[in-house]
This record gives sequence, structure tokens and C-alpha cells, in this order.
Amino acid sequence: MTTNYSAPHLVPDDDPGEADLTRALRTLYAAPEADGYWSALEQRIMDRVAGGDALDAWWYVPAQWARIGLIAAGFALVVAGSLFLRSRAEQRQMAFDSVVGPSAGGPTLAIHDAATERQAMVNYINGR
Amino acid sequence: MTTIALRPASLPLAGPSSRRVTTPDRPDDEKALVLSAQRGELEAFSELVRRHQRRAYAVARAIVTTHEDAEDAVQDAFLHAYRALHRFLPDQAFGAWLHRIVANASLDITRRRKVRDADDLPETIASPFRDPAESDELRLRLQAALARLPERQRSVIVLHDVEGFKHSEIGKLLGIPEGTARSDLHYARSALRRLLEQLRSPQ
Repeated sequence: MTTNYSAPHLVPDDDPGEADLTRALRTLYAAPEADGYWSALEQRIMDRVAGGDALDAWWYVPAQWARIGLIAAGFALVVAGSLFLRSRAEQRQMAFDSVVGPSAGGPTLAIHDAATERQAMVNYINGR
Repeated sequence: MTTIALRPASLPLAGPSSRRVTTPDRPDDEKALVLSAQRGELEAFSELVRRHQRRAYAVARAIVTTHEDAEDAVQDAFLHAYRALHRFLPDQAFGAWLHRIVANASLDITRRRKVRDADDLPETIASPFRDPAESDELRLRLQAALARLPERQRSVIVLHDVEGFKHSEIGKLLGIPEGTARSDLHYARSALRRLLEQLRSPQ
């Protein structure tokens, strides 16, 4: 019994690149060879390391301070949010009170009791 | 206390005959260097720079488009590495850890450059500073073709064919799945081959 497996579409790993293409790529991307170049680069790197990289040191904040700052900012955000919600709720209450509240100076509606109305109807029918 | 002999420029030079620049396998020595650097000894870190800067440059050069950007990426990466050295576990491979940092620094420079140069895209990939034969037609064609390749495909083909990285290593460096690195390499080679065939065919 034979089992046929269908191979997935694979990109060959050892796809032989054209020799001249590879050679040209290697020439194009060749690293500098001169010793002096590497010594100078090493010196520049070490200057930056030793100097703490003065150019960007002004914004470099230790991680601990950054964490404290983030917590403080989060707390301030929560406080501001709650104050905003509270003032909004107060404004809404004031607006509501100005329309239907007991202190409003506008006209009031007479509230009729359903039982009173029923009695009035009965009296009318009885000819009273 | 460990004493480490520091030697100037102890690596073989990167020349056409020795394409893959390798870091000497001296794990114990390197671990001692890392531990010394973590204690704040700048000489030890300097030796790490000396050992790894060529390979770091090769990684950066594969990702950015110019020699100058590769230099900047290498410098930035070593600075980041120095600042993050306290988080590095000395039992790990320093080179692999550094290469990830170099790749990130290079990608960061590429992103910034893309924003800055959005209105002024270069026609070709800028050549290394010491290109010996500008008149070479193959090389000029290749530069033009590389400039037309998607950035990631260009990085993959250079890291694989020029620097000898494996697909899995390239995947880790560029933050892509290994399969994507394989297919990128395949497509990049096909595109470049097409161009070379055009060059060979009679006009």
C-alpha cells in the first residue's frame, strides 16, 4: 500500500544563486577593509559611550523616574475624569431642576386624582 | 578577579576572499568580557566593540541603504547595547543579542529616513564609500535593481547571500517568520536574475 503525500509549495533552501550575481552583491556590500577605519569607528563609539552621549542625554530619564511619572499622569487623568463627570452630572441636575423642580417659578400643573375624576363622572350621570 | 588580555584589532579583515566576517569562538573569554563590561569597565566594552563592529556593520549595511546610515546604526546600536548591558545574561551569545539591536537600530534609521525623504526618493541604492569600479555595468544595473526591490527582500538577499545568515537568523533579525525570509529570498533572487538576463541578452 502506498500513501501519496502532497508536498506543500516550498521555496528551495539551496536555490543556487548566480555566481556573478553573488559576486557583484558581495562587492557592492563589502565592508571597509582599512584598519584605520575600524579603529576610528571604535573610537567614535567609545567616545559616545564614555560621554553618555551628551547629544541625547538631556531627554534620557532613568526608568524609575519614568515609571513614577507615568503613574502620576495616570492618577491625574483619573482625577480629571471623575471631576468632569461630576460637574456634568451637576449641570444636568440643575437643568432638570430649572424645568420641573420645586423651585421653578413657572406654571404648575394641576394633578388630578383618578378616583376624584371617577366620582365626578358618577355624579354627572346621577344628575347631580 | 578575571584578567583579560586586550588586543587591538584582533579580527581578520573583511575582504573579498573572506566574505563572512566571523567573530572568533572564545565563549569563556567573551563571557568574561561581558561580565567586566557589566561592572562598568570601559576597556572590556571597547574590546567587545572591536570584536563585533565588523559583523555589526554588515548587518546594518544589509538593512539601510547607505554606508553612512550603516555607520550611524552601528554607533547607535553599541550605545543601546551599553545602556542595556545590565539586562543581558552573560550565558547568552553576545553577538546574536547585539545583532538584534543593530537590526532594530537600522530599521529605525530606515523608518526615519523614509519619513524625511518621502519627497526625494533616490534613484539607486547609494554605493559603499569606496566603490572601486563605478563604471562596471553589472554593478550599476545591480544597484538600480536593488533600489527597485522591496526593502525587506533586499535585506534578506544581502543577509543570506552576502553575509551568510541562515533563514531562521534572518527571521529573528528582521522580526519576520522564517518562511517569509525564504520566500523573500526566492523572489529577490528571481527579480535580480531577470535583470541580469536582460543585461546578458544581445541588444
